[in-house]
Amino acid sequence: MWRLVTRRARAQWPLLAAVLTVVSIGATLLGVCALLVTRTADRALEVAAARAVPADTAVTAYAVAVGRGDVASVEADTRAVLREAATPFPVTVTGRMSSVIRSLPGRGGGAPAVAYLSGIDDLTDRATLLEGRWPSPGAGEAVLLESTARMLGVRPGSRVPIGAELDREPAPGLTLTVVGIAGVRAGAGWDRDPLAGAGYVPDYRDTSSLRTSRAFGPFLVDYRDLLAGGSSMSRMELTARPDLSQSDHRDLDRLAAGVLGADRRLAAVLGDRVQIQRVASELPSVLAATRQQQRVTASAVLAVAVLGVALTAAALRLAGRLTADVRADETALLSAAGTSRVQLAGIAGAESGLLALLAVAVALPLSTLAHAGLTRLPPLDDAGLVAAPTVSPLQVLAVVAGAVLVFVPVPARSGLARSGSDIALVVLAAGAWYAARADSARVDAVRVLAPALLLAAGCVIALRLVPPALRAADRFARRARGLAFPLAVLEAARRPRAVAAGLLVVLGCSAATFAVAFDATWHRSQRDQADLTVGADLVITLGTPAVAGQGVQVAAAVGGEVRPAADRGVAVGQWLGGSGEAPRLIAVRGPGVTPGIPVTAGRALTVTGQATGTGSIVVTPQLVLEDGTGLRTTCVTREIPLDGRPHPLPGCVPVDGLKLVAVLMPVIVPEADFETTGTTAITVDLSVPGADGWTAASAEPFADQLTDPAVTTHGSSLRLTAEVELGGPMEAARTLIATAFPDPGTVPVTVSQRFASQLSVGPGDDLSVLVGVAAVPVTISRVLPEVPAAPGAAAISADLDGLSRALLARGEPDFPIDAWWVTGAADASAAAGLHLGDIRTRTGEAARLTTGPVPAALPGALRLLVPAAVLLLLAGLVLHVTCDLHARAVEVARLRGIGMTRREIRATLLGQHSIVLLPLLLAGTAVGAAATWLVSPLLVRSETGVAPVPPVAPVWPWPAESALLALLLAGTLLAVTVVVVIQSRRADAAHLRVAS
Amino acid sequence: MLRIRGVHRRFGDVHALRGVSFDVAAGSMVALVGRSGSGKTTLLNVVGGLDRPDEGTVEVDGVDVTGLTEDGLSRLRRERVAYVFQTFGLIPVLSAAENVGAPLRLARTPAADREKRVSMLLELVGLAGHADQKPGELSGGQQQRVAIARALAASPRLLIADEPTGQLDAETGRSVMALLRAVVESEGVTALVSTHDPVMMALADRVIRISDGQVDG
Repeated sequence: MWRLVTRRARAQWPLLAAVLTVVSIGATLLGVCALLVTRTADRALEVAAARAVPADTAVTAYAVAVGRGDVASVEADTRAVLREAATPFPVTVTGRMSSVIRSLPGRGGGAPAVAYLSGIDDLTDRATLLEGRWPSPGAGEAVLLESTARMLGVRPGSRVPIGAELDREPAPGLTLTVVGIAGVRAGAGWDRDPLAGAGYVPDYRDTSSLRTSRAFGPFLVDYRDLLAGGSSMSRMELTARPDLSQSDHRDLDRLAAGVLGADRRLAAVLGDRVQIQRVASELPSVLAATRQQQRVTASAVLAVAVLGVALTAAALRLAGRLTADVRADETALLSAAGTSRVQLAGIAGAESGLLALLAVAVALPLSTLAHAGLTRLPPLDDAGLVAAPTVSPLQVLAVVAGAVLVFVPVPARSGLARSGSDIALVVLAAGAWYAARADSARVDAVRVLAPALLLAAGCVIALRLVPPALRAADRFARRARGLAFPLAVLEAARRPRAVAAGLLVVLGCSAATFAVAFDATWHRSQRDQADLTVGADLVITLGTPAVAGQGVQVAAAVGGEVRPAADRGVAVGQWLGGSGEAPRLIAVRGPGVTPGIPVTAGRALTVTGQATGTGSIVVTPQLVLEDGTGLRTTCVTREIPLDGRPHPLPGCVPVDGLKLVAVLMPVIVPEADFETTGTTAITVDLSVPGADGWTAASAEPFADQLTDPAVTTHGSSLRLTAEVELGGPMEAARTLIATAFPDPGTVPVTVSQRFASQLSVGPGDDLSVLVGVAAVPVTISRVLPEVPAAPGAAAISADLDGLSRALLARGEPDFPIDAWWVTGAADASAAAGLHLGDIRTRTGEAARLTTGPVPAALPGALRLLVPAAVLLLLAGLVLHVTCDLHARAVEVARLRGIGMTRREIRATLLGQHSIVLLPLLLAGTAVGAAATWLVSPLLVRSETGVAPVPPVAPVWPWPAESALLALLLAGTLLAVTVVVVIQSRRADAAHLRVAS
Repeated sequence: MLRIRGVHRRFGDVHALRGVSFDVAAGSMVALVGRSGSGKTTLLNVVGGLDRPDEGTVEVDGVDVTGLTEDGLSRLRRERVAYVFQTFGLIPVLSAAENVGAPLRLARTPAADREKRVSMLLELVGLAGHADQKPGELSGGQQQRVAIARALAASPRLLIADEPTGQLDAETGRSVMALLRAVVESEGVTALVSTHDPVMMALADRVIRISDGQVDG
């Protein structure tokens, strides 16, 4: 048997080499895909972890209400728990803590003054020293924020007495020497400071007291001093940052498990030494999300691999068919000589096994090298996934399985059976398509198999359509006058034996065109997702409160149109959102000019006021100023007595280009209580030119405690007047609101479809949205599929100007800004130098989604599928044409015998193959296009595995598809031409001699 | 009509034709007789322009075949010489009528004329009722009749038949021979037929024997 196999191999080596090439290409494709979903995927996880932003990998432990005797031990134990959780990675742990509130004696009348101490391990990284020096250990020194120092009127060298703790077992007071003034750094965690890094809050409400107070702080002392200094801590926060630069995917899983269990361990370790403790980290969810994205990518890569298997199977089926044709006489001879079917099967099996072994020997190193080469090309190299040649067990398994399984014989089918199996395939593909339409994040076999099934079903349908088309051409050709063209058409139309070759051509062409279109669709979808996720070309999410003139600073640095924007969770009436997600408010400052009074930088504004009937009324005017970008900032002044004298307001107009758009003026009656009776009429003049059109109102709650509010022009001042009740409810606002515009009433908003569905609301419905502490009435004007910057969320979109006006009209001075949105930024990279907060760009987000380490494997696999499909198609075609022309050599010679020239014979043969190839390539393209429209939206997934938002828009990249088709056409015609030319030269008398 | 002078043809060490010379008069039917391997088919291929002699000349209807280019040889076969093969040489995907019409298509004969000529020829060979049948649907004798009809389609001056009855039974062979004899007379064509068949030899105007690449006698 072996002698027959080896002798036959020597005799038919070109045919067997072609079969070996086909199997090797298929097995190589499988091997590369196996490496992509194993080695590359694991490496992608490691690279993603190493590239993760610090906020995503930090593990933070919080402890609330720590008694002063336990501070040091709680801090040490918490550090130990965090270090253990981060095992086996090296970790740096930093801490910060804030003391309980202390009284601040000697700070005048009005609301009581309070202060607190803070210690920050890495203070120099979180704040910028503006003046003086950092505090020394053990010296009773402190650094103040610039706003705190300004409000307290202290400078380096000042000694500030701090009172006792306002607690049940208060620590005694102490005196601190101010040695420096500092400013907060953006994104340095100041949002978790008790005063959010503001330095001063006039209406601070501590959880231990119902009464508001004037809060100053933090007094930044040495971290170790605070740890050992006998103060109780209201909050303690330790953050561990594991170094993931040299991570291994198995260690990352251990880390995630350790972090998830850290909360329980911390509770057990700290016991009742703290009131509340918690360990929080984005790390487990970030790793889980990355794993999920990895599965989504693997699913798509496997779908590509299945397509490759289908292509290889089609090519091999063709090769098997041709081999059987070539060996038909030989097989008949062997049978006639007494060889049994079992023996024939044994010979075929031995030959197949030998070929499979050879294919494995070729495909294994080839797939290893191809994978290593692929990782050195975009996008894998950009993603940091360059890999040395490697062999993985799954790769070996895939290569062996691919090489062996494709040799599994497919029994020849009758026409009826073929029809039946074709119908079954179409039904199966339709079922897979329907099942894959379910919007599930689950990665399942249906989504992996659906593309191959749909393409295969499309191909069998297309192949069913080609013969009728050729028969129509047959009828047309019969009327022609010459011989070459009609003969070519008649040959093509009347030779049905080329089904296997046709299947390979259609499948190869459809797979290649689908891969190109799917690649374009996938990239387009990622860009669309990035555009929708990131509200503008450049978004700077602020880490600290915006300051006047910041927008101009941003515009000067990056260029383009700069607009303030709000992006935050809100409550809508009593509804806090569903599925753990608060409704999102997206508000951007639109175009339009706000009326206001221009003010000049450096010019000291003054406030002069008087009150009738009592001499102890004070006001704390809050001046709302707007800059050229529409940003509104509030200058909170100190308490100003209404004593008839002018009081300067230093530092309220820090930059040029500002205009005053509103004044909120709380009125404080220090000695009054609920029982106090009587009223006082107040008159306050602000030294800015008056202007028409200003509106005055009294803020809730208990707006009737301040009546007859009015704003007028008085000489060169803006005069605010009102009648104020001296007694009454303590929680009454007693705030006069003066604005350069009228109360806008309800704010028109657009909402997302999800928002409308979850609340069952639509256009015209009125709602109340809680922004900060103010409820703003809104009315729905439109329902959109998605709100930009909040894809997939229940979201509200509003004009930030209108929203801010509504807030000001309700006595809420804070401008709801969370970010700067920049459109048409000339140099987005310059934003980093501003140190304002997190920076996101649409291009950066698109790059993360397309060339990030985890998704990069998919475009890589698609770029492998295209050449594999083209090669398999061409290899199969050459095989088919060679065998076909070889079988018809005598016929070709006879054509010469009846007087056809070689040119006519070449034209006939080329025409014949072209007439078949062209419709097949067109059919393949049509199937590829149909699959793009049907399958791409199902196959393209978001990072989380669900359908992307916005929905996938299939893309048919005409230039790339045209180039591919031209390449296929040129390649196939070249292959056919070469074979035809050789064959027509060989068609001579020798063939006629054989025939005769 | 046919003038052959000193034709030699070698295939490597095999000397297939050794100085063959003879003439054939127009309108006559000549039987070329000899054992297998004697050089009959080689001689027919040289005469029909399918092969070129190493030495010697062949003139068909006054045209020196050996001096023609490839295209000239094709034109010769298209206009002056026609073949009838032992294995019929029909194109499998074409019907009987289409096979017969193939040379007329090569000559770009108008469709109406072509159809008329095809019908006449099929009538002549007795296959008028089988015009739409493919070669695979016809018997061996019928296929050879179609082949003869096709050979006559373009009104050649010389008909070359290489053992036209080699694959037919004796009865069918005889009828094909009779048909050949009849068309030579009716169409006025010259026929050069290689054969082992004594009936054919009897029907021929002249018998030329070839042995070891040479004309006997």
